[in-house]
Amino acid sequence: MSIAMGPSTSGRDRTSEFHAIVDRLKKTQGATLPYANGSSNGAVANGNGETARLLPQPSGNLQSEFSKRASQIGLSIHQTSQKLSKLAKLAKRTSMFDDPAVEIQELTSVVKQDITALNAAISDLQQICEMRNDGANQTKQSSEHSTTVVDTLKSRLMNTTKEFKDVLTLRTENLKVHDNRRQLFTASPNKPANPYARQGPLASAAAAPPSASSSTTAALPPWGNGATRSNELFSSSRRRHTADGPDSTQSQGRLQQQQLAPVQDSYMQNRAEALQNVESTIVELSTIFTQLATMVAQQGEVAIRIDENMDESLTNVEGAQNQLLKYLDSISSNRWLILKIFMVLITFLLIFVVFVA
Amino acid sequence: MALSLRQRQRDAVVRMLNLNHPVISGGTADEEVYKVLVYDNFCRDLLAPLIRVNDLRKHGITLYLGIDKERQNVPDVPAIYFVQPVQSNIQRIIVDASRGMYEALHLNFSSSLPRPLLEELATGTLKSDSLQRVAKVYDQYLEFVTLENGMFSLAQPLSYVQLNDPAAQDQDVEAVVESIANGLFSVLATLGVVPVIRCARGGPAEMVAGVLDSRIRDHLVSRNNLFTEAGHMGGLGTTFQRPVLCLFDRNFELSVAVQHVWSYRPLVHDILNMRLNRVNVQTDGKRIPYELDDSDSFWVANANAVFPQVAQEVEVRLSRYKQDIEEISKKTGANAEDFDDNELMGSTTALKKATGSLPELIERKKIIDKHTTVASALLGEIKTRSLDSFCSIEDEMLSKGSVDKSFIAHLKGKGTKEDKLRLAVVYLLAVETAPPAELEAVEAALRESEVDPSAFLYVKRIKSLNVSLSSAQAASKSNLGVWGGQFYEQALSSITAGVKNLLSGGRQAALTRVVEALMEGKPSPETDSYLVFDPRAPKGSTGAASVSKGPFKEAIVFMIGGGNYLEYGSLQEFAQRQQPTKNIIYGTTEILSGNNFIEQLAVLGRKMGVGGSTPASSS
Repeated sequence: MSIAMGPSTSGRDRTSEFHAIVDRLKKTQGATLPYANGSSNGAVANGNGETARLLPQPSGNLQSEFSKRASQIGLSIHQTSQKLSKLAKLAKRTSMFDDPAVEIQELTSVVKQDITALNAAISDLQQICEMRNDGANQTKQSSEHSTTVVDTLKSRLMNTTKEFKDVLTLRTENLKVHDNRRQLFTASPNKPANPYARQGPLASAAAAPPSASSSTTAALPPWGNGATRSNELFSSSRRRHTADGPDSTQSQGRLQQQQLAPVQDSYMQNRAEALQNVESTIVELSTIFTQLATMVAQQGEVAIRIDENMDESLTNVEGAQNQLLKYLDSISSNRWLILKIFMVLITFLLIFVVFVA
Repeated sequence: MALSLRQRQRDAVVRMLNLNHPVISGGTADEEVYKVLVYDNFCRDLLAPLIRVNDLRKHGITLYLGIDKERQNVPDVPAIYFVQPVQSNIQRIIVDASRGMYEALHLNFSSSLPRPLLEELATGTLKSDSLQRVAKVYDQYLEFVTLENGMFSLAQPLSYVQLNDPAAQDQDVEAVVESIANGLFSVLATLGVVPVIRCARGGPAEMVAGVLDSRIRDHLVSRNNLFTEAGHMGGLGTTFQRPVLCLFDRNFELSVAVQHVWSYRPLVHDILNMRLNRVNVQTDGKRIPYELDDSDSFWVANANAVFPQVAQEVEVRLSRYKQDIEEISKKTGANAEDFDDNELMGSTTALKKATGSLPELIERKKIIDKHTTVASALLGEIKTRSLDSFCSIEDEMLSKGSVDKSFIAHLKGKGTKEDKLRLAVVYLLAVETAPPAELEAVEAALRESEVDPSAFLYVKRIKSLNVSLSSAQAASKSNLGVWGGQFYEQALSSITAGVKNLLSGGRQAALTRVVEALMEGKPSPETDSYLVFDPRAPKGSTGAASVSKGPFKEAIVFMIGGGNYLEYGSLQEFAQRQQPTKNIIYGTTEILSGNNFIEQLAVLGRKMGVGGSTPASSS
């Protein structure tokens, strides 16, 4: 009995007590079982959080294959969502100067590949599942189990995809904002056809000497202001900022912008490409998304309680009873019908026999 | 920190669903394991109000099955069993293990598994060579049903009958007391607190207190870590202040259990038979189930409000909802002409915002619809049974202790048989000494409307045996507004206009007053005779320590023999009125509506030999 209170047993965990009893029983019965080490085995497996794969069954090969795959998919969905959160962190950065465009692009493509791969894997899994369900030795409940697993994975993937889409949308928006800002400060006053009508006053303010612009648009990192402080600020930033460096010595904002123009152009093109990339990814994603959406059965079980089906079964039973009653009615009315037909037939027969024969 | 029993229980269940691995906050511990959940009927009732199917899915549960339903093999999948520790369940588990239905069995018992059953399990699995399938055996100490944040029920039916049965054997009563103490022990273990126990002298309350006290003592000596463990798991859970556990017997105040009610939550429970936070409302011949629990903001806000006020509130919400809808459609629709680039941008964001707020609006609409349906169902019942007059008469009787002559007419008027019987019982409890002539008249009236008077007669007998029964009611006198009676003829929507606001908390339940006195810890004539059990104190020095005298910030009030939402609401109101607010958890052996309780009284009456099928002989 005292073994039961073994080390690290909380008041709730009675497993060791159970095994102690089993050991005692074994000793008294002298039964030598091959599973003598079952308990320690289980304990080790539990320590790793891998209880599910405790003692794999040789018989359920197909099932094992299924669960192995399912857990793999689950794991990679998890990994993907971790990547995604990293990506989201990057995309949220709104600073204009150290824009991690390359990293974002890489990550985006990785995640995109992941999602496509996962999508394929899940459809594979579904096929396995269907194949198994067609098999003769599958019970209804185990096929239900596998269907639910597939559904859960699908909805998880769908959520991940949705997240991905959100991140990309965020990214596009950020890029657009950046472009807006850039246009704001690079647009020269000799370009009156500014599509952003409201930004007129701001644009003129930007054209004013740097000190003035920094005071009027304190919230935004002003171009001119940045230029004067470039030495400290941009020491770590990229090529286009270093290109900025020499120009920044100019005190005249207008002149500076004109000289910047060619550099700006190529930069803009880069940006436009990035934007297009992101947008095309979103489009692709949305196709995947819709595909998934049609695949995932409407999971209307969001707020179902576990005792819900009790009521359902009750109504089903009642319905069955009603049907039976109806059947009884129809049978009894049928009986009358048969009787009537017989009577008619017999009358005709009699008429036939009496008059014709 | 507040004792939130529901949260604690949910945490414990979630931990169980993750194979008893600790759960990282917010996430699921091991997402890659898919499991099957097997439960028995009791545990289904326990889980149903607590956790939804989508939560189960989130924790990797793919199938949820009743243990005594027909189940099929799902090989290669671990199964979580959550069942009561009874022999039939153990036998089922052994059968399942020997047939190899699931890959591994994680056994969780709702309360402590007795040693003999554990041995039976061991022998059974050993015999059938399926020992390796049993992965874990856990005691969960969750043998109670939490319905609200501060309310639980042990779901032990008919405990009032069992405890008050004149023919009951000692061992039967002991068994009931034992199981009640067991349930309370589960509650305390889940909360992770060792309370000071107070109860009235004599009766079942003292018996339960004694058993519970010795159980906690034994436990603190041998396996000290069940309570400390819970404290660690709750993080800040260990408060220096211990709560007080007040045990009461239903006989302490009977009238609360039978009287008619007028506030929303008790009404829903009493009339629409709410069970496990769910009501079935009959509309157009279809029964539609509705959920009413903590997630429903309207329900939480208006649970203790009187009925007309609730109707008013529904109206207010509806108009606010309409207003919001209008605002959104204005924002998104009006500015479409201006094709300014910025404006376009603005309107798309507005549109986006609108779509973003749609789910919330839909949710609100759903709540409004639900409560409109529930309230109109209530209104229909109130009209046909004229419950308002029952309610007002009973309240007047209980608060003044005197009787209006017209009430006998009510016994012959509208209302169901149970309503009339309840009125009669309340009359008995309200007046201290009823004139025999009036009693005769009441009985005659009851018989006239073909009511089985055995409950009435039982209470009469009890009362004559124990005059002090009604003394509790006599003390609670305060003025009460007269119920307005006419507004039911109007439709639900027009109730809002010109309604006299009726009081619900005007008369404080006797229970609340005693709880208040016990929590204050000051000497008062009502509570001085109450016994004190302190499981932490050394044996023999009971009651002497000053720590067990209070004042207390937290209390667990437990009603043996059935409680209801009226009492819960009264305690809640009291707790919130206090400065600083106190925290009271209300528990009971089972939650009974007035009709249910009157049935139990009738059963007792028949057992006692009064009333029954031939009411004439008993009078």
